[in-house]
Amino acid sequence: MRAGKWLRKRAVMIFAGIVIAYTLIPIAIIVWFSFNDPSGKYNYTWEGATLEHWQNAFGLPELNDALLTSLRLALLATLISTVIGTLMALALVRYQFFGRRSANFLIVVPMATPEIVMGASLLSMFLVYGITLGFQTLLIAHVMFCISFVVVTVRSRLIGFDRSIEEAAQDLGANPFITFWRVTLPLILPGIVAGALLAFALSVDDFIVSNFNSGTIVTFPIFIYGAFQRGIPVEVNVIATMMFILTLGAMAFAVWQQSRAAKLASVRPPQEGEALVPVPAGGAAAG
Amino acid sequence: MTTLRRRLVPYFLLFPGTFWLVVFFVLPMYFMARLSLDTGTLETGFRFKWQWSNYTDALSLYDSQFLRSFYYAGAATLIALVISYPLAYAIAFQAGRWKNALLFIVVAPFFITYLIRTLAWETILSDQSPLLDVLRSLGLVSSDGRLLATSGAVIAGLTYNFLPFMVLPIYASLERIDPGLIEAAKDLYASTWAAFRRVTLPLSAPGVVAGSLLTFIPAAGDYVNAFFLGSTNNHMIGNAIQGLYLTQRDYPAAASLSFVLMALILLAVFIYIRFAGSEALMGEEARRA
Amino acid sequence: MLTKMRLLAIAALALGVSMVLAACGGGGGVESGGANGEVQTVQLQGKPSGELTISNWPLYIDRQTVPDFEQATGVQVKYIEDVNDNAEFFGKMQPLLSKGESGGRSIFVVTDWMAKKMYDLGYLQNLDKSGIPNVEQNLVPNLQHPSFDPNRDFSVPWQSGMTGLIVRTDLATGVKSICDLFDDPKLKGKVDMLTEMRDTVPLVMKCMGVDLANATEDDWMAAIDKIEQAADSGQIRRFTGNDYARDLTSGDAAAVIGWSGDAIQLQSSNPNIKFVMPEEGCMLWSDNMVIPVGAPNPTAAEAWMNYAYVPGHQAQITEYNYYVSPVSGVKEILQKIDPTAAKSQLIFPSDSFTKDCDTAPTLTGEEEQRVTQAFDAVVSG
Repeated sequence: MRAGKWLRKRAVMIFAGIVIAYTLIPIAIIVWFSFNDPSGKYNYTWEGATLEHWQNAFGLPELNDALLTSLRLALLATLISTVIGTLMALALVRYQFFGRRSANFLIVVPMATPEIVMGASLLSMFLVYGITLGFQTLLIAHVMFCISFVVVTVRSRLIGFDRSIEEAAQDLGANPFITFWRVTLPLILPGIVAGALLAFALSVDDFIVSNFNSGTIVTFPIFIYGAFQRGIPVEVNVIATMMFILTLGAMAFAVWQQSRAAKLASVRPPQEGEALVPVPAGGAAAG
Repeated sequence: MTTLRRRLVPYFLLFPGTFWLVVFFVLPMYFMARLSLDTGTLETGFRFKWQWSNYTDALSLYDSQFLRSFYYAGAATLIALVISYPLAYAIAFQAGRWKNALLFIVVAPFFITYLIRTLAWETILSDQSPLLDVLRSLGLVSSDGRLLATSGAVIAGLTYNFLPFMVLPIYASLERIDPGLIEAAKDLYASTWAAFRRVTLPLSAPGVVAGSLLTFIPAAGDYVNAFFLGSTNNHMIGNAIQGLYLTQRDYPAAASLSFVLMALILLAVFIYIRFAGSEALMGEEARRA
Repeated sequence: MLTKMRLLAIAALALGVSMVLAACGGGGGVESGGANGEVQTVQLQGKPSGELTISNWPLYIDRQTVPDFEQATGVQVKYIEDVNDNAEFFGKMQPLLSKGESGGRSIFVVTDWMAKKMYDLGYLQNLDKSGIPNVEQNLVPNLQHPSFDPNRDFSVPWQSGMTGLIVRTDLATGVKSICDLFDDPKLKGKVDMLTEMRDTVPLVMKCMGVDLANATEDDWMAAIDKIEQAADSGQIRRFTGNDYARDLTSGDAAAVIGWSGDAIQLQSSNPNIKFVMPEEGCMLWSDNMVIPVGAPNPTAAEAWMNYAYVPGHQAQITEYNYYVSPVSGVKEILQKIDPTAAKSQLIFPSDSFTKDCDTAPTLTGEEEQRVTQAFDAVVSG
């Protein structure tokens, strides 16, 4: 009876726990198999542990080229789409103008279009115009699908923005540009950074749109797709694990920063004998 | 600043993005439509000819793939919903200070590259894997049956890969619910279940709608899961489109299939929104705009 | 109402603008390009130097040959293994080739029929035989005058091979013919076939009793129907490129249509994997080195071809990939360093071993289009 009640109360939690385990299992497999030592070219059965592939992670020139291409592409695409997206977000949140609703609509539609349609239609246009597929066409495609995500992310940050700070700056004599540069921008920077990170992640991981528009250029996901047929080298697992850990680290750092900022920003009621504002140990009056 | 300049500022800000999206997102749709009406082959060159037969030919050859795609995407969305809702609920209402950590853990696996994640399932569902042994001994899979290269594997892959798209919107809308409302319901003698059904569930509708759309739409056009996890008769319309564009180079057929896919998805979305109510979808966005 | 009208107005405007833009560019569709008449011949320029980019199939070369060549000639080699399937590779390169560009590559390695197709479209250059004396000297007699390139004007074989059955003898017994793949109920769901149409369909035609020299379009279509039925019923698990090897290794497939060299390579990870010559015979093919139009360094390309035709260098390559070498004199060299390989029927097939084997029958024009479309519809699901 008691057990039944306990179970029912915790049912949702237990279920959630199972789901989380389910999402983590493939990751465990990938990391685990990065230590595999396959005798043939296929990394599908466990044959013994080795650190060889970790030590030699960057020993495959084709894989490295693909990785570098992906990173270059992602950096450029992030740069361009973040700038464009931030400008758009500013316009959409702060101004009332004719065509605002359509612009909003235009932002949302790419996020809801299946990648294959986006990729295929871009390819169609390049084909009709006879444009050679390559790095430039890839870059165009990547910026295209990143813009919307940047806009949405920055916009959500802008919406919660307290404009009275800007007004205060202007009251103190700053012109609109300086206000933007030294007041607004630093405050919305976390939103911009979040948008940029999202764009970067989307770009590095993109397969479908890239597959259609890359021509002979090989990005990291395209390399994996091609390698699938002839045996994916263990180094791919190693690099995927490295990227995973890096991203985890970056996000953990960001979350830690956030909680730290929140702690610093919070003012708690003074305890017995404490001053309302902490006074530095040395003589502040002297400074 | 003069009034005219002020009025033009948003347009300047908007211009680069709008230009990019119109030229590289909207315009290509037109070209795809145009390509779909071409005639010819790669060797002889393609000419525009209002060749509507491309559509009928392609649809008759690939109708089963279309049906399959919508079936798989629908199944994956439903299963994702069933899995994600309790998870999102647990995180929003029962996790307390572990909320962010749990969200983080849910999203973290998706920092591994999409293709590798899918390939991991190939290992897990392989005929000789421990999982299959367990399933066979439990009788869930026949002794000479398999999971890989079946529709089940493809649906499982789709569900897994699009899970965050379902979890996060549902979580976001659940989190916004004022717990006071639920308390009020309970004060009015509602049982936990009734409170859930009549307060929480309706208020989380925008999240459910958004999550379903964000899952269904990309899943319907996906081909990676079917390629790695399915056999030939599990191929989706995405596989056909990819093959026609990139290997067979039959551009008119490929473009027509792609166009029909887009149209069907739009149709499905419109019907769903009609049914769920556009208020639910736009939700706060509409109120802010 | 007003907002809806605004939206419509803007949409109409956007569409109008796009149509205007579109009308300005792109006549009506996509061009196929290619030479109109004259085929270029490679222009040799003194000693080979500079950079050489080669596109080849995966796992077709050992690790020493490229460094050795670089040392011997001073040419920097970029060796890309991006040919996974003839049609796929063609699809990727065609837009460039139609404009006379080769994507930076000076050599492709493609199968016979694809080499002919590219040549007919004007995408390849004729070779200057004075740059490849070793080829003239050492090419095995039975490859000197193939039907698709009677004077070896534009192609030089890289390796040859056989397509037949590869079987996991511990998982499947009594597989002797291609038709067994269709008829044996114990193999249901454990059969892979190749996406390469000119390997799979002719083999099926052979097991159906068709004489390939006189195969008609109806024969092709009948074979494709048979394959389609097996695919629909679930008898065939997948259509693959090189990745049947993955299914065989993991045991997800028990019998596949596959390539001879792979069978030997796979045996190292599982001794139960064996090549089985089908009762009705196998398919014979060669992968050929060709020089595309717009190749940046044809001089170095020919030097590479010449280098590969030195028997000692060939032996090194054959010993790695276990395919059939087109260079005479290799067997004698291997007898000294790897006697087991020298004795293998798969690497040095005797005439009796391949007595029933054929090369793929040619298809052209509309016939080719129809058959390819039908097969593709089956293979892509």
